[in-house]
Amino acid sequence: MERQSSERGEESPALDIAPDGVDLGLIRWMLSLTPLERLDVLQDFVDGALALRDGRVQE
Amino acid sequence: MSCRTLSTEPWPCAMDASKNRFFQLLEALVRHEVEFVIVGGVAALLEGAPILTLDLDIVHRQTPENIERLLRALEKIHARYRDPAGRLILPNADRLSTNRFNLLLTDLGALDILGDLGEGLAYEELAGRTHDYEMAGIRVRALDLQTLIEVKERVGRDKDRAVLPVLRQTLRLKTGEPASPEEPPDE
Repeated sequence: MERQSSERGEESPALDIAPDGVDLGLIRWMLSLTPLERLDVLQDFVDGALALRDGRVQE
Repeated sequence: MSCRTLSTEPWPCAMDASKNRFFQLLEALVRHEVEFVIVGGVAALLEGAPILTLDLDIVHRQTPENIERLLRALEKIHARYRDPAGRLILPNADRLSTNRFNLLLTDLGALDILGDLGEGLAYEELAGRTHDYEMAGIRVRALDLQTLIEVKERVGRDKDRAVLPVLRQTLRLKTGEPASPEEPPDE
């Protein structure tokens, strides 16, 4: 029964969140990266944030 | 190429150090043999915490020789103070040896050069509480996570307290400590 449910994609995803609300999955992912890869994540975030800012429709 | 993925979707990482401005900033300092410690959000990130920031914070060694090397590096990347009045104010030896906060804008982004982290935590005190990182041919020192947490607990501003849960959980996962039901108070 459970298997059928899983095959239909109805299974609830497991949450990897600490009691204080911190997303532990994000931490585990970051720890799996090399230092340079971590800097690349940061650079991508900054580039994306600036692109969003530049794309804001002026009122 | 993509970074290792969080989910099934690839994170669009460039994986080219020469295009990463945070790396380029660090490289400019290292190439000029500046003695510094990375602190703040980038230190937390290098230590593995999923913290995002827009600037690079460093504490530099405040000797005349190091400030001279730092000034040469800053000249290369056209550093100037982020002046709210829009004036062009350039860093100089006097400012870098006396100002606690040197908030600069460079060709490679924002760079905050700090004289210390408060309560006497200058370069000399911080240098022994760091981890070394080697990236694409350069070696840098970042403040270790335990010290970052201690500094933020001590400073206690809202912005510092806000990131403490993430830093504590990262340290816990790194050291393999079991989760505790209650976090220590921030104050």
